[in-house]
Amino acid sequence: MSEFVEKSLGVSDSSSVGKNNTNDGDIYKATFISTLVNVSDLAVHFPVKTREGRQFVRPVDEVSFTIGKGEVLALVGESGSGKTTIGRALVRILEPVSGCIEVVGRDVAHIRGSELKGYRNIAQMIFQDPFGSLNPVKTVERHLQFPLHKHTGTQGVALSERMNQLLDQVGLTPVAEMRQKYPHELSGGQRQRLAIARALAVQPKLIVADEPISMLDVSIRAGILKLMNQLRTEMGLSYLYITHDLASARYFGDRIMVLYGGRMMETARSDELIRHPMHPYTRLLLAATPGSPVTGPLPETSNQPPNLLEGRQGCPFAPRCPLVTQECHTAQPELRELDARHQVACHHA
Amino acid sequence: MPTPSPVVLELDNVSVAYESRAGAVNAVRDVSLKVEKDSIVGLVGESGCGKSTLAYAIMRLLKANAHVTQGSIRVNNQDVYALSAKELRKFRWNEMSMVFQSAMSALNPVMMVEDQIFDVFRSHRPNMSRSDVLKRAKELLSLVRIDHKHLKSYPHELSGGMKQRIVIAIAIALEPSLVIMDEPTTALDVVVQRSILDQIKEIQREKHFAILFISHDFSLVAELASRVAVMYAGRLVENSPAYGLRNSEGHHPYTQGLMRAIPKLTADEVTIDGIPGNPPDLITLPNGCAYHPRCPFVFELCETTKPERYRTGESELECHLFASERRGSHV
Repeated sequence: MSEFVEKSLGVSDSSSVGKNNTNDGDIYKATFISTLVNVSDLAVHFPVKTREGRQFVRPVDEVSFTIGKGEVLALVGESGSGKTTIGRALVRILEPVSGCIEVVGRDVAHIRGSELKGYRNIAQMIFQDPFGSLNPVKTVERHLQFPLHKHTGTQGVALSERMNQLLDQVGLTPVAEMRQKYPHELSGGQRQRLAIARALAVQPKLIVADEPISMLDVSIRAGILKLMNQLRTEMGLSYLYITHDLASARYFGDRIMVLYGGRMMETARSDELIRHPMHPYTRLLLAATPGSPVTGPLPETSNQPPNLLEGRQGCPFAPRCPLVTQECHTAQPELRELDARHQVACHHA
Repeated sequence: MPTPSPVVLELDNVSVAYESRAGAVNAVRDVSLKVEKDSIVGLVGESGCGKSTLAYAIMRLLKANAHVTQGSIRVNNQDVYALSAKELRKFRWNEMSMVFQSAMSALNPVMMVEDQIFDVFRSHRPNMSRSDVLKRAKELLSLVRIDHKHLKSYPHELSGGMKQRIVIAIAIALEPSLVIMDEPTTALDVVVQRSILDQIKEIQREKHFAILFISHDFSLVAELASRVAVMYAGRLVENSPAYGLRNSEGHHPYTQGLMRAIPKLTADEVTIDGIPGNPPDLITLPNGCAYHPRCPFVFELCETTKPERYRTGESELECHLFASERRGSHV
């Protein structure tokens, strides 16, 4: 086991207060006693060339959240809201410019080298496009062999057995036949199952799932969501579930966090957020989602995209917000707690 | 009793096949469908079910290896495949137009928006003066609510939603009676999607064209369209009025499966069920009903015999469960 895992597991064992008491099937009543991920004031920036020379955009700015053990946090927002960037920073494909990412009690925001390699045993990612995330010239077997060998050092018969077990776990059967197939011989759903098996190979504690079902056919989406849900109960996995679809966020997520223009707008238990949205942007999203009871014009005043440049002021949603006042353009709203599990960042909500 | 609206698009037993080394791929089989003036018909199905192939067949834009093997396609009572090349060129866009799947790539990246709109008038209205064309282009942009200054913009300077609006503006430039929209909002965010759909409906109220709206998003189509046609493995398995899709009774088992597979936003129950198995390979289609390997109501007949088209109320269904002697006993 790598240096990182030993160190961090030591910390987490002493800090965990008790066992998470998720009841099967009753995920909404679950309370998450021990925290797996604690992100505070996360910010990521990218350089861009503009007419004024080199500037920075901040697709993620001062975002804080926690994910409990065995909890699913759904991250909802439109494209460009920073949800994928948060996911990538959390698995440390990206390095944040500031802020702290505490996973099992250790700050991983700036780790490198062997420490980072060790962190891969804890956090894994499932990508949106199962057609792009698999190597077309490698068999199913080779996709699993590599992470197993590199991260756990398994070899020979044990390796083969572990691969069978993984494929069985994600429902890629008959296993012997599947192992020899190439990605082009698999359907979209099967590919995504392989991507999940590959992520599970290192027995992670956290999986960042970046729109894992958005490129799949409607009839097989439910199967993938169910599989992820089942793995959560069996292995106590935590997920950051990134999606633009509120309906699937409500289905899979224990809590939903709504993101706009790189800032957190609202976070609450899934049911609470859908039934009692407080933030005007959450209301807009809900009104626009197919199947919503809201008819008539959308509650927005323009369709101007948010300003993502570094040093922006005020609330990113202000140009589109029906409740906007002068204050919104100058002062960034603080995150207020309505109750213990419902927070909103709006001057007027 | 109100007089029925004129039928703009009429498909009669249309089949389309692709030639391939593995044999003919029957992408569309025996599809009959009518779209009336002023209405929106939604065409739903999973990838590979033949919905885009059908759209291309209507526009007579099929690739060289694909052929309409059977049936007739009539737009405004004109058989599209009876037109000469010259007539077809005039017919397209004047009578029927199409909004293609990805707005991002439908526009030419090195041409200004105005030139792409002018193109339509240059080829179809050569006698129109330049100032009239410009006036018309501005009208079109107002219709889709885009600032006139964007006539001088290049596609990369516009957001995805704006590009899609411009593609729609180009499609309705000559006021055709049929507009085929092939997944026009798939790549867009929900808020943008909703505002574009609202706009499409608004423009339709003004211009009264018919829309064939192709999508994989069942809940979206059920909300937008007046009738919904469901395709599976090249066949039209169900054609029902949209209001009937609120409850799952009286529908094709595949339609029911789709309904159960979508997480509901507001319903109390939060369970969803996928459809077991995978969509079929069009080269090695199962015998009988193509859906039978995945169908929960399957019985012997389904494995051997293709179901006919049955009518119940306002719906048309291709499923043995709806044969008159069995009707109501299973579903």
